[in-house]
Amino acid sequence: MSHDKFHRVILPLKDKLFRLAWSIVRDSAEAEDIVQDVFLKLWTKNEEWDNIENLEAYCFRTTKNLAFDRVEALSIRKTENIAPESESGVFTDNITPYFKLVETERNTLIYRCIDRLPENQKMVFQLREIEGMSYREIAEALDISEDLVKVNLFRARSKMKELLSGKQ
Amino acid sequence: MNIERIHTLLENYWNCETSVPEEQELQEFFNFGDVPEDLLQFVPLFAYKQGHQTMELSSDFEKRLEASIRKAGRQKQYITIKIFEPFLRIAASVILIAGIGISVFFFARQNNQVFAETYNDPDAAIQQATLALEKLSEALQATEEASVKSLEQLDNLKLDWSEIDSLSSGIPLYNPDSNNNIKPENL
Repeated sequence: MSHDKFHRVILPLKDKLFRLAWSIVRDSAEAEDIVQDVFLKLWTKNEEWDNIENLEAYCFRTTKNLAFDRVEALSIRKTENIAPESESGVFTDNITPYFKLVETERNTLIYRCIDRLPENQKMVFQLREIEGMSYREIAEALDISEDLVKVNLFRARSKMKELLSGKQ
Repeated sequence: MNIERIHTLLENYWNCETSVPEEQELQEFFNFGDVPEDLLQFVPLFAYKQGHQTMELSSDFEKRLEASIRKAGRQKQYITIKIFEPFLRIAASVILIAGIGISVFFFARQNNQVFAETYNDPDAAIQQATLALEKLSEALQATEEASVKSLEQLDNLKLDWSEIDSLSSGIPLYNPDSNNNIKPENL
């Protein structure tokens, strides 16, 4: 077992994987469990690491698949299960009850739009907008072509624009 | 910041023609800049991005992960033992039987006299055994004949057993309190 490789390549992905899992299950505890399961799975399959071409992309795919399996198994109500930390957003310095309410409504609007997106659009949106990954990295992580990444992102952004412009 | 540039960047953003740094520039403007009224509607999207980029796992995640890895390792060992349990039983049985066999072997070697053969030829052994049994038989037969002879001699004496019995019944029993006891000088 190459402990060094685990600590050098896999473990630093933990927060990215957590955010990806969270974007699917919308529950911090569940998302943490998923990331832990992904790491345990990788740890026990250490002899296969050398056969995996892109370990980072493999981690993203495994997390995505586990998260969707978990959602299906638990039937988590995503829109009604917003974790407290997500409600604070960026304006953490001057939170008033009114501001918090407005912020929650804004986030709920975004969540509602994301929830309507097909799986691929949702994943591309998450990896580009939150993780700031390049089209190539997203294509490898989701095992799809770069063109398909662009198409999915374009459609996701268009829907978001329509929603925010009040056209939906 | 030049608002014209923001409008251009935003248009490119919707068309997926912006780079990651340009998107970062937009994000900073919508979160920290002076956003004009006609663009306020897009603030929630960039606020969402800003807020979710900082989401992190809890600080004790790595400790819990290490504990889970250790636990999984122990379970793996237990599963290995469970898989090999039947083989372990068989191995234990073989060792037990082998142990008993070796013990018997060495015990037999140490007590050679008990188990040792005195004759190499089985016929000779049978002859010797037959001879011994014949001698025993002759001895038993001689004893029986002597007993029969003694009984015949007793019969030849023609004793009257009833008189002998009456002699024993006429002798009074000894009573220490009575003077009728037979004195030794009268016998």
